[in-house]
Amino acid sequence: MITITSILFIILCIVVIITALVALFFRDLLASIVSFAAMSLTLTVIFFLLDAPDVAIAEAAIGAALTTAIFVIAIKLTRRREE
Amino acid sequence: MKVISFVALILVLGFLFLSILVLHPVGEPVGNLDVFKARSSATSDLNNIDTMDDYFLRNGQRETGANNIVTTVVFDYRGFDTLGEGTVLFIAVSAISMLLYQMLKKKKDIAKERAFAKGTSRIVGYAAFFLYPLIVIFGAYLVVHGHLTPGGGFQGGAVAASGTALLLVGALITRKSYSTRKIFSFFESFGLFIFIGVGFLGLGTAFLYNFLANGNVDFFGKTIEFGTNPGFINSAGTLPIVSLAVGIEVFFGISIILVALYNATKKDKMD
Repeated sequence: MITITSILFIILCIVVIITALVALFFRDLLASIVSFAAMSLTLTVIFFLLDAPDVAIAEAAIGAALTTAIFVIAIKLTRRREE
Repeated sequence: MKVISFVALILVLGFLFLSILVLHPVGEPVGNLDVFKARSSATSDLNNIDTMDDYFLRNGQRETGANNIVTTVVFDYRGFDTLGEGTVLFIAVSAISMLLYQMLKKKKDIAKERAFAKGTSRIVGYAAFFLYPLIVIFGAYLVVHGHLTPGGGFQGGAVAASGTALLLVGALITRKSYSTRKIFSFFESFGLFIFIGVGFLGLGTAFLYNFLANGNVDFFGKTIEFGTNPGFINSAGTLPIVSLAVGIEVFFGISIILVALYNATKKDKMD
């Protein structure tokens, strides 16, 4: 049965795949990190729609905050543009 | 080079999608149920159980005394795997801290550092100064109520550690932090030590046995009947203790990682 929830779920899954692929094709690595954080945010909502609130809390804290911070510090140590 | 990586990506994706065809249905045990029958006591409900999650849903609340079945699986039924996870996090923090911690030795370097940091981001610094205790309190709430509501040690520790990332953005932590390193690494080791210590305390029956649950002792031992209840913190045996230990370890460990990575950046490229 096609409900609003299942349509939303399919749209969110497509958004995850699109943002993950977009993160590969940027030259500026800071934009790549922002796309990665957007993917983590969408993945959190998908985990919540699958009735897993523990995993959603962990993914929100780790994906959106910690991984982004560690990646930004990492590109400050190396180059910002990828050639 | 890009073509090779793209072909490898397609191969891995194909492999992952094909593995969907051979997955077990959700909750079906891979082995048999004799392992659970050996653990269960006389009052366990072993009727109509044909999948593994049926066993956890029927008997988890009565055997351990916690309302959150996910936390009982993570810290009680499969607590040994969580010990492995805590050890892996500890090893990662040790490796990063060993490679990347550079300490400023001269006093004038430290003073110049702090002056530069205070000049750049005053507003963000003030906002971080007010928000950091709230974030840590929210993380501690998730840790302490891990056996009642969704949460637990890892989730609360990660949320509280994101407060440290906020402090780094607001330039409230500069690179002088040698004494901070000693305090933080002491608490991180302390967390893992409490986990292993609680495991050894239950060694009368088994390692990491929940010897405080359903014991009618006042120290985390309230008996919980099957059904909905408003949630008692004083229940679930060793679960809150182990959850607290893991939360402490995760918070201080990830803080060490963030500060060590920040220490390694060059001084003159701060922006």
